[in-house]
Amino acid sequence: MTEARANMMISVWRGMGSTGKFETFEVPAQDNQTVLDVVTWIQQAADPSLSYRYACRVGMCGSCAMMVNGQPRWTCRTHVKRVLRDNQIEIAPLRNLPVIKDLATDMDPFFDKWVKAGGVHRASRSRDMPIQEVKPDTAQRQAADNGIECINCAVCYAACDTVSSNRDYLGPAALQRAWTLFNDEKVVDKQAVLDAVSGSGGCHNCHTQGSCTKFCPNDLDPLGSIAGLKRETAKSFFRRGSKQC
Amino acid sequence: MKVQIERLDTDILILGSGGAGLFAALHAQESAPPGTRITLAVKGLIGKCGCTRMVQGGYNVALGGGDTVERHFMDTINGGKWLPNQDMAWRLCEQAVVRIRELENEIGCYFDRNPDGTLHQKAFAGQTADRTVHKGDLTGIEIINRLMEQVLSRPIEKLQEHRAIGLIPTKDGAALAGVLFIDMRTGGFRFVRAKCVMMGTGGGPTMYKYHTPSGDKTMDGLAMALRVGLPLRDMEMVQFHPTGLLAGDHTRMTGTVLEEGLRGAGGQLLNARGNRFMFEYDSRGERATRDVVSRGIYSEMRKNNDPAQIGMFISMSHLGPDNVRKKFPGMVKRCADSGFDLAAGKVEVVPTAHYFMGGVIVDPDTRTALHGLYVAGEDAGGAHGSNRLGGNGVANSTVFGGVAGDTMGVDIRTMKALRDPDESVLAAEVGRAIHPLAVKPGNVQALRHNLQEAMWEDAGVTRTGFGMKRALNRIAEIRNKLAATGVDGGNLAFNLTWHDWLNMASLTEISEVIAAAGIARENSRGAHFREDFPEPGDLDTSYFTVARRVHGELEVSREPVLFTIVRPGETILPAGEPETLVAAH
Repeated sequence: MTEARANMMISVWRGMGSTGKFETFEVPAQDNQTVLDVVTWIQQAADPSLSYRYACRVGMCGSCAMMVNGQPRWTCRTHVKRVLRDNQIEIAPLRNLPVIKDLATDMDPFFDKWVKAGGVHRASRSRDMPIQEVKPDTAQRQAADNGIECINCAVCYAACDTVSSNRDYLGPAALQRAWTLFNDEKVVDKQAVLDAVSGSGGCHNCHTQGSCTKFCPNDLDPLGSIAGLKRETAKSFFRRGSKQC
Repeated sequence: MKVQIERLDTDILILGSGGAGLFAALHAQESAPPGTRITLAVKGLIGKCGCTRMVQGGYNVALGGGDTVERHFMDTINGGKWLPNQDMAWRLCEQAVVRIRELENEIGCYFDRNPDGTLHQKAFAGQTADRTVHKGDLTGIEIINRLMEQVLSRPIEKLQEHRAIGLIPTKDGAALAGVLFIDMRTGGFRFVRAKCVMMGTGGGPTMYKYHTPSGDKTMDGLAMALRVGLPLRDMEMVQFHPTGLLAGDHTRMTGTVLEEGLRGAGGQLLNARGNRFMFEYDSRGERATRDVVSRGIYSEMRKNNDPAQIGMFISMSHLGPDNVRKKFPGMVKRCADSGFDLAAGKVEVVPTAHYFMGGVIVDPDTRTALHGLYVAGEDAGGAHGSNRLGGNGVANSTVFGGVAGDTMGVDIRTMKALRDPDESVLAAEVGRAIHPLAVKPGNVQALRHNLQEAMWEDAGVTRTGFGMKRALNRIAEIRNKLAATGVDGGNLAFNLTWHDWLNMASLTEISEVIAAAGIARENSRGAHFREDFPEPGDLDTSYFTVARRVHGELEVSREPVLFTIVRPGETILPAGEPETLVAAH
């Protein structure tokens, strides 16, 4: 049962666009309390003007990611106990994306890059044809499956220093999607997949720091996917080179 | 208060980005004449808000191996207790076959395979064949991620974080002129004219104390349809999922689903004394259908009647904690993140409002009584009758979303011009939305709690005529209090509290309809159970309820179900077909 406890001190980023500051709120501690619940309490009970975004509440939609004590996290699935330090938590909008207001960011640049990285299936057969048989236990299919549960929450994108320093870099999530497509038996034109990620903002910009894999809330491995793309784009480069000689 | 309305034009406007909205956009683009402008407007972000993404179980489709469209259809009719619109149910089952091939072949989804490479299918409660296609227990993520990519990479206009607040008809009321929005990011109003509008905002019974849908879903679509005078059917039919997480009033985790598969795998439901109870209610025990288990849990909660111990418990540990962790990794992790040990401990659960079978009356091509308006997905009524089978929800939204896109692509060829709105309706809808900004700010959340308590207690899992009348009184009182509760409009940009108020306005309007329709149905079918009328009533004279607002007053009538394909007691399966193809446990 709930016991009386000291209030937590919560610092929250307030502001529109690139200007703003932290404001501190005293929030009552509860059992079973997530960071999203803390943010919700502030909006509902302390300051109705606080802006943030959430939808599903259970880690399926990827709408509520924020910087919690400087690290990107799904707020709906982060229990307060895991992040409370000296009775304090600092909550800020997701890094590497423009801020709309307070804790809500504009995710369009993230999705624009998803599209730019070729992150879409090109139909190889029509709805009038039978579904392609795909053996589930091949190494290739396993490699595709490894990235398939990405919910495009942009936590990896926020964690990545290369994204911070290079505006054009496609980022870990978009590249991981490309790697999944590359390994998908149903995708016919593999060269097109590689071409989309080997340009100026592509996979070779990755510095292998691994923050993407470290912070992925779904335990996916974008770093491994990017390594795969680097290997395959290099092979493809040499294949093409040798054809031209 | 002076209000600016920015005006935009498009040709086809789609509301919502779940399975219905995204498929409507793709099919409209395929079928409409070249140059047709298509705009997708969403209350949240494209592909992120709404509930298709949250689908765990899967997608019902008859793909051979003994299963047939006829068998899927009969299961849907039996599951809906003979209330479905049979032509819609048929379209659902027949087109699901095409849509699943489209999802795999064209959209790029990958569903789980058998070792030989063919699609894996499993059986949910209420099905007589292994029919449900799935991607693990995260089917919705695979479907929506792939659909979202397709839509984002095509020339479709996007209006994200645009909340629809009014369907605006023409002055003569004969057709729809367009839709009024609030651009949530700026707080500004935007009116978009379109020749065709598809509404797929996705119902969502979040007016109950415990509910599963995403936070953005607040019955806005049905409230708009009601205000523009459209008839709504089956509005008493609210499906409760038996096992929602109970973690306290202060957390958004409360009400979220603990998946059906837990009970299927042998999970036990325990009461406050630690005893199993489901076999007292049904010979199938914990494996009975959602409505039966929900009523069993609710009944035990009432018997226990202890404010310190509200919920019942689901226990998996007898199956071996390691085994549970292996079989349900996602669920175990989700519970652990919230502070509960599903694998070795027990987790407190309550029935939780999950899906709304009721909706706008449409024809099987998604057309409504209002020229220019099409409705698909959870906003449309009829396909499921009194109860939706697990796996028929995402099939419904994707099938009818695609149908709507195709239909609009054809219809728009005969629609020469955009239509002008009735300016008085437009002004009234703006006035309704800005009403709270001129009233002294108050506690909107407290009213939402009141509404959720009222609906849970008086129009919930089990109902009585007396209780539902009390619900109507409580709702009326809440509506009056809401009108007297204001919101600080100092900054309208991303003003969530203003939207909380508007959410409450929609929920209150539709709550009244649920209670009124529940009073009109004097029997118990599917999701609707009345203690004062516990019998299902005569199947041959089955009726469905129709609610509409006439001159401001809510009217509910009954209309006979038309058995256009099969009559109660009959089947369309060939003689000698086995009752079920599913192997016994």
